[in-house]
Amino acid sequence: MPIETPSQVFQELVEQHRGILFKVAKAYCSHEEEQQDLVQEMMIQIWQSLQRYDPRYKISTWLYRIALNVAISHFRKNKVHQRKQGTLQGQTPLSEDSDQPEKEQQLRLLEQFIEELKELDKALMVLYLEDRSYAEIAEIIGISVSNVATKIGRIKDKLKQRFSQQKISQNGR
Amino acid sequence: MDDKELKALWQTQAQKLEENILLTRKYAEEISKMKVQSALASMKPLKIFTIIVGIIWVGFVDLLIIGSWQSGSAFFLVSATIQVVLSKLALGIYLYQLVLISQINLGTPVLEAQEKIASLKASTLWVARLLFLQLPIWTTFYLNAQMLKQPLSLFINLLITVLFTWAALWLFFNIKYENRDKKWFRMIFEGKEWTPMLQSMEFLDEIRYFQKDEEYV
Repeated sequence: MPIETPSQVFQELVEQHRGILFKVAKAYCSHEEEQQDLVQEMMIQIWQSLQRYDPRYKISTWLYRIALNVAISHFRKNKVHQRKQGTLQGQTPLSEDSDQPEKEQQLRLLEQFIEELKELDKALMVLYLEDRSYAEIAEIIGISVSNVATKIGRIKDKLKQRFSQQKISQNGR
Repeated sequence: MDDKELKALWQTQAQKLEENILLTRKYAEEISKMKVQSALASMKPLKIFTIIVGIIWVGFVDLLIIGSWQSGSAFFLVSATIQVVLSKLALGIYLYQLVLISQINLGTPVLEAQEKIASLKASTLWVARLLFLQLPIWTTFYLNAQMLKQPLSLFINLLITVLFTWAALWLFFNIKYENRDKKWFRMIFEGKEWTPMLQSMEFLDEIRYFQKDEEYV
């Protein structure tokens, strides 16, 4: 069996797990062009960290760590710029188009909710929605499992409130 | 909406995103063939440049001190020695930052890596503190015994040096994150070059609250 070169390993790895990179990028920036730049930066970091991969952890755990670390740093770097321009993502009004299918509206609400979260909470929410176990989330973020459970519980409560508010305002119309 | 529905909703957008296979292939090929630099590594050149300029400067001042050791004024020698020691300390901070940059591994847990990145940026505050500590020497290096023989000149120089020393020490001990909201602090660190440093300090706070399971606002 031919031995794979590091370049082949890298290309297969990112192709197989591209979903992780794109989903994390989407959670941290709303503009498509910026998302692509972010994915590219994540891939550079993966390529450069390949030698340092610790096989004690699952490959997905390692990839989430890199993707989230790059995304958080990128998000923090651009935070001031966005604030100055007054286009903080959370301020984008939610479309109230009644013709929009309900699922689409719910998805937009969920996306807007994630946009408004602080960078570390965003990471937790993405991992939770990605159906990662609390133990893996704890490994990725670097906090205890009980801390993960408490924080996710809090975020979910806020999200539920948001969905019920939306429902009330829709029924009122 | 329950957990299952919420996760299913998230997956609907995820499916669209995962279609970017061609883009992923293109990036992966480019990255593995070219010599590319990550955003973190791109911080290195400026640090290295600062260190080189710093080494040239301290080397120059060291030579001046050695050259004028026998004949130079005591005021100049003491002032230059203090200046060069403080500059070497500032150089040490830049070297420490360079080491930190090479040690940061983004494959480690998010909080660990982010804490290192934020500490790296926040350590720049130490450079500012050391620079302010140099204030009094700019009021003494040009003095000589002749100038201090006149009582008025002695009084004025002494007053200025005492004031600068007081200001330098006060700033050295008070330039800290806890004072970030004070008016004088904001005046000093107003420019955009300081914003990443101040934000990093704020983020360090957030990280600590996050670790402690406290709700941060």
